[in-house]
Amino acid sequence: MSLDLPLAIRAFEVLLGWSLLLQSAEYLRVQRFDRVGDWRIQRAEVPSAWVRHWLDFTYKPTLYSSLLWLRGALALALMLGHAGLGSAVVLFVMALLILLRWRGAFNGGSDFMTLVGLTGLLLAHVLGLFTDSAKAWHIALWYVTVHSLSSYFVSGWVKLMRPEWRSGHALTVFLDNGVYGPLSAHSIYRWPRVAKLCSWSFILWEGLFPLALLDVRLAALFCAIATVFHFLVFWFFGLNRFFWAWLSTFPAILYCASV
Amino acid sequence: MKSWFRRVNTIIRTMELTALLILAYFAWLAVALRKRQRTVQGPWLFLLRAFFPNWQFFHGLGPAPRLWVRAQDRQSQWSNWHPVYPRLPRRAWHLLHNPTVNLALSHQNLVEHLATDAHDLAENADIRDCVSYQLVTRLARDAVEGACWADTPLVHQPDGTRPVAFQFEVRLLRLGQPGEAQLLLSPVMALRP
Repeated sequence: MSLDLPLAIRAFEVLLGWSLLLQSAEYLRVQRFDRVGDWRIQRAEVPSAWVRHWLDFTYKPTLYSSLLWLRGALALALMLGHAGLGSAVVLFVMALLILLRWRGAFNGGSDFMTLVGLTGLLLAHVLGLFTDSAKAWHIALWYVTVHSLSSYFVSGWVKLMRPEWRSGHALTVFLDNGVYGPLSAHSIYRWPRVAKLCSWSFILWEGLFPLALLDVRLAALFCAIATVFHFLVFWFFGLNRFFWAWLSTFPAILYCASV
Repeated sequence: MKSWFRRVNTIIRTMELTALLILAYFAWLAVALRKRQRTVQGPWLFLLRAFFPNWQFFHGLGPAPRLWVRAQDRQSQWSNWHPVYPRLPRRAWHLLHNPTVNLALSHQNLVEHLATDAHDLAENADIRDCVSYQLVTRLARDAVEGACWADTPLVHQPDGTRPVAFQFEVRLLRLGQPGEAQLLLSPVMALRP
């Protein structure tokens, strides 16, 4: 069992494109009903006057909507395998513009992981100008893998250091405060033993995720568990973007575990 | 010396070096996380923080900021304080399209940024100059005016009277424990007629 480079690239492009497409559709919808975010207020946070003026122009509602439509179209092109260096550069710049529009992040970690994916895509195409494409993609997929593995490792490690996670108490409290919460009075996650077992399962699985690089079958197992984990995160906290952003890194992990 | 070079060459060729580097990287990460981390601040760093992700999700039960609002009617009667915290119905298709929840979560993030700004405020600075304060003011105004996240009102139990003014408060909860502390109380602000 292994994932060869062409298949890994294709899977990465399809999943990253899909994630970007869903995000673009959400941004377009949000633009219609958000009454809180106001660029005229937010612009004060941009320290440079010329950048501020340039962003004033970019964030005019019609132009901003056009950018989001273009982003959706490029995401589709990426899925279909028609995105080259130009598309990678435009998608990267758009990601920056969207982040600035949302004061650095709209949806926290998912924005960060999306940027990792887009940086990987950009790396592959830019390095491809100087070396052969296979080597460039090899480096790009390693870049994405290291970030993705770091995200799990750090997340697991910081939980391990916190007594409230080791006891399982934090799990119940966070689930209670989730956007789809609170937990029902009889939820099994209120049982201390279940909460502790779940907590330790997550801590160990996240903390040991770098071991996925030892063998592709192990990587497949870690990624399968991760898919279930991210689905649960969506189910309790509504973080659908996290699901797709992290899923798009799995082909890179599987490829790196194969080489 | 020659054999040492040959050994390094072999390591590089067989990717052992990569394995060692990866191992060293995660070991360094584990050690670094145990140390108290310095917070580097700056306007560009805040706006471009996506380039420096710390990946510490749900890491501990620290103080959790919550927004509360109240409204005043024409008879100068104040309503009770109401929390503005995203609680929305779950739908399976939200996995594919979830703009409302994501927007609601970004509003809660705004409240958390305001709490951080209030906490880090310089001695002679005015919190009302902060962008986070101005945006949370808009959120609070929206809440007392009966705005919704899709079909879900920002305030779950509005008092029914048409308000003419409002006030908001940011309180710090300790998750999982009783009690809360006031962090910030806004002045009374008039609503647009």
